[in-house]
Amino acid sequence: MAPAVTATVVNEDAPESYEVAHVHDVYDAIASHFSSTRYKPWPIIAAFLANLQDGWVGLDSGTGNGKYLPLPLDRPGRQWTIGLDRSRNLLEIARTAGGASVLREVVWGDVLGHGWRREVFDYAISIATIHHLATPDRRKLAVERLLGAVSPAHGRVLIYVWATRQDEHSKRNIPTNSSGTGQDVFVPWVLAEDSTQVFNRYYHMFDDGELAALVTLAAEELGLVIGPAAAEGSLKGIEIVQDGWERSNHYVELRRWQT
Amino acid sequence: MVRLITHNLLACHVKGCTSNNFPLEFKDVQVVLRESEFNPDFLRGFIPKLEWPALVGAARELGDTSLPDQLPEMLDDDFLKTLHHVLLEIHVEEGIMICPNCKHNYPVSNGIPNMLLAEHEIG
Repeated sequence: MAPAVTATVVNEDAPESYEVAHVHDVYDAIASHFSSTRYKPWPIIAAFLANLQDGWVGLDSGTGNGKYLPLPLDRPGRQWTIGLDRSRNLLEIARTAGGASVLREVVWGDVLGHGWRREVFDYAISIATIHHLATPDRRKLAVERLLGAVSPAHGRVLIYVWATRQDEHSKRNIPTNSSGTGQDVFVPWVLAEDSTQVFNRYYHMFDDGELAALVTLAAEELGLVIGPAAAEGSLKGIEIVQDGWERSNHYVELRRWQT
Repeated sequence: MVRLITHNLLACHVKGCTSNNFPLEFKDVQVVLRESEFNPDFLRGFIPKLEWPALVGAARELGDTSLPDQLPEMLDDDFLKTLHHVLLEIHVEEGIMICPNCKHNYPVSNGIPNMLLAEHEIG
């Protein structure tokens, strides 16, 4: 029986050090065991990566063990995804994601940074990452970084975060509130080799509608119109292509456009 | 790894450092060459995104002078194979990447570039 998920309260005066203690340090400590449990790509994410163009380059912001870097498997080398993560130990694993004979490009960095040419990528994914940021402003900034990383003409973005609405098969019992703005929790990780070592990872679990609202705020911050591409005028915007829920996660797929 | 494909995308993101912050300059590098599969369709699609002079300059910093100053109009297989080698087979394993503007140092260790900044340093 896994230890229970418990509610937590973020220290809003020091969210950065809160994330260091309850996210970054935890992943560096559990990297090897964590990675061994994360090997199967999710179908919607695999489908997103399978429908891009030859020659496109993408950013996997919060790549973890890099399991999405080799995709699509049927067209190896036709596009190039660069993995970014805050955990150095996970990046060492991500370098050889998909087998030691093929090396992946990985960068040690933070999802709130932007150490690349503006709008240079064709696509960006952020899977199970933004929910580790400890305040609404930081989560919004993380979305702004994704939108600002991709082409204004055709950039595509896919974001996944953990949901308060859990799958009926989920073994987890989740604390709830009725705020509509999600739930801050600790999710324990018990090391396989030493069950006395338990690490509490911080998550912000997203309520229904919260991810799309966050994306809307981030787009507005960047002066982007939200909706289908305008017929005329000199406008920049994003279209929300998909806004869904799958197996205890919310996801949103976006396309940038300009006229 | 910092291959030149990645180097051509990276830029300095220190607060206030918004011009002349690309390309980062290599210093004290250790380079390893590793063969990888040639994929002309990828290269043809990627070329429009390349900053060509930055790629030529970075390759020369690493001792590779095979690229012409100007991107050729004819993208034949000989040229694409040369480009493939420069972009995807030269691995910078150790070294430093320095911002040409603010001189911030981004270290490369065990093939992984460290683009982390303290949050108060990020622009």
